[in-house]
Amino acid sequence: MTISPIGNILGAAGLSPLQGTQSATAPTGTEATSGNTFTQALENVQASQDNADTLAKAAATGNLTDIHAYTIAATEASLTTELTVAVRDRAVESFNEIMRMQV
Amino acid sequence: MTSPMFPVFDIAGSALTTHRIWMNAIADNIANVNTVKSMDQPAYQERFIIAQELPSRSGDPVGVGGGVAPVAVELGDAEGRVVYDPQNPLADKNGLVRRPNMDLGDQMTNLILAQRAYQLNLAVVDRARESYQQALNINGR
Repeated sequence: MTISPIGNILGAAGLSPLQGTQSATAPTGTEATSGNTFTQALENVQASQDNADTLAKAAATGNLTDIHAYTIAATEASLTTELTVAVRDRAVESFNEIMRMQV
Repeated sequence: MTSPMFPVFDIAGSALTTHRIWMNAIADNIANVNTVKSMDQPAYQERFIIAQELPSRSGDPVGVGGGVAPVAVELGDAEGRVVYDPQNPLADKNGLVRRPNMDLGDQMTNLILAQRAYQLNLAVVDRARESYQQALNINGR
């Protein structure tokens, strides 16, 4: 009596190798720390604040063509700032919570 | 500046700009409602703003459009309304002059439309801001 050898297990042979997972937070390939993420978020806030400032200057010098361009930019700047502050508050809160943990 | 975070502001902003430009065109039309030209010149031509929808903005996952933009100004009838006005210094030997061929009632209607559309888009901005603000007020505890 002969025993036929076990062939490739179906399915397993068809699996493709694991693709490298992409880092969502660190496009430069550096270590994805929350510090990096915060720096990027702050740069984003800075950009929208700068935009609002530029338009405010244009309004003051009479070079603003669209009134709503300034008010919308100011709204965006205030919203992004509020969002960053909210994220910071939550992060600090989590940190404090962990620091209070009994060991 | 386009912000991927709040596309609704960019979209509504584009509509605000478009309707402001439409109001400019209507203002020009109304300003020239009494502009008289001699017969050898074209009459004042009514200004029409051609608006076109914008393609999706970057970071838009489903393909919502990107708002609206004015792309061109089309001119109306150059023939004008030929009026008999022999006292006019611009009149030719038959006493004819060209007046713009537009209806002031149409202009006023368009002005109301443009103003209401502008207000509508401002309302969109305001509602979006309100919604985002409410999202910020979500408290985990």
